Amino acid sequence: MAPDMTKNSDGKNDATNGGRWVDDQLATLAPSGEWQPNVARGFARFNERRSAQKWRGRKWIFAVAALAAACIIALALPQYREGVQRLWRDSDFKSVDIGQVSADVKALKDGQAAPDFTLQDSTGADVRLSAYKGKVVLLNFWATWCGGCQVEIPWLMGFQKKYKDRGFVVIGISMDDDGWKSVRPYLAEKKLNYPVVIGTEKVSKPYGLDSMPMTYLIDREGKVAATSVGIVNKDACEHQIVELLGPPHSDQSQFRMN
Amino acid sequence: MFVSAGSEALDGMKARESAFDFEAIFRAQYGRVARVIARVVRDPARAEELAVEVFLKLWRSPAAQIDHAEAWLYRVAVRKALDELRRRTRRARYESLVGFVRRNPTPEELHSAGEQQEKIRLVLAVIGARHSELLLLRSQGLTYEELAVALNLKAVSVGTLLARAQQAFRKEYVSRYGTRYDKE
Repeated sequence: MAPDMTKNSDGKNDATNGGRWVDDQLATLAPSGEWQPNVARGFARFNERRSAQKWRGRKWIFAVAALAAACIIALALPQYREGVQRLWRDSDFKSVDIGQVSADVKALKDGQAAPDFTLQDSTGADVRLSAYKGKVVLLNFWATWCGGCQVEIPWLMGFQKKYKDRGFVVIGISMDDDGWKSVRPYLAEKKLNYPVVIGTEKVSKPYGLDSMPMTYLIDREGKVAATSVGIVNKDACEHQIVELLGPPHSDQSQFRMN
Repeated sequence: MFVSAGSEALDGMKARESAFDFEAIFRAQYGRVARVIARVVRDPARAEELAVEVFLKLWRSPAAQIDHAEAWLYRVAVRKALDELRRRTRRARYESLVGFVRRNPTPEELHSAGEQQEKIRLVLAVIGARHSELLLLRSQGLTYEELAVALNLKAVSVGTLLARAQQAFRKEYVSRYGTRYDKE
């Protein structure tokens, strides 16, 4: 009963003769042999796959629930909450560090004691770092020929003006080879409002000075709080200074004590 | 026969809508689903694996469990089977292109009743998926209304689409095997 294929080109017979022929063809499709689907085995396999999936799903739920519970506990207990808040503050501080320090620079680490030094200012008076203990010190290694230094010096003058009454001081350590010969006219011209000294290798080496400008923020205990190689991030730096100074009233008393 | 049994299952299922008994639907439908697949995928073991996958999909689709679960099962079964068929056809074509891993059918296979079935399966694999789905579900005994539900079609267009699918099947068959064919 092979249909005459030429007749079916008009499509009209498709649903009748040709259609029946197609139905007949498809009807011959049958599973091979005496095979019968095994329902019990199928159901067992289904359950196996389902429980595997269910467990996979639950593992995630458990992990998320455990994490959420840990967070809640951490925030519910005051001592942990403080810890978390401190962590948060620290991470905040890290993300807005006052500038970049590349890994190959042997700068002092945060928390290390800033090496003491005694150098002379333009009047010949001693400037001793340890004398500033109790104040927040911004130590800036610079030179008159250093372009980046010229950019940040006005900022440093701004910080000095704004925060000196709260126990903050900038110390500029000039690394000019010819010393006061270059620096004195520069100070006269720019009218720097903070102490400037001429640095020596003996002083710069412990600070890991490799390139300029380089800036250290030193806390009231004389420990390094932040480092920047290159031009400081002005806003982050100011933010950090304010953090180190603490609330205005408390640092006033501390300042008087010292 | 098949349709009436299916309708009964469907009615029973509707009665259980509020508390869907998955195991009952599995036990009632698994055999049919596996057979639907086995018509397209020759290997029965593979057909059973695919049938399990169909039910896993049903289990993950709560909406499908309630509305027309049976029609849904057939549609998914036919799609799974056709996917498998197309995958195998592609691989066979690739292997024949590559040549060295080509597996020639044995004379026994060539002259068995299975040869005609293989021709039909190949045609189903290469014509459009919508055509194949429609033809297979129709040949499974689904009415026009059931086809419309299963394939999300308008009931009035099922006839036209079916005629087009049949024409596509025949054209492909003729272009591959000529107007004369030996299986009557």
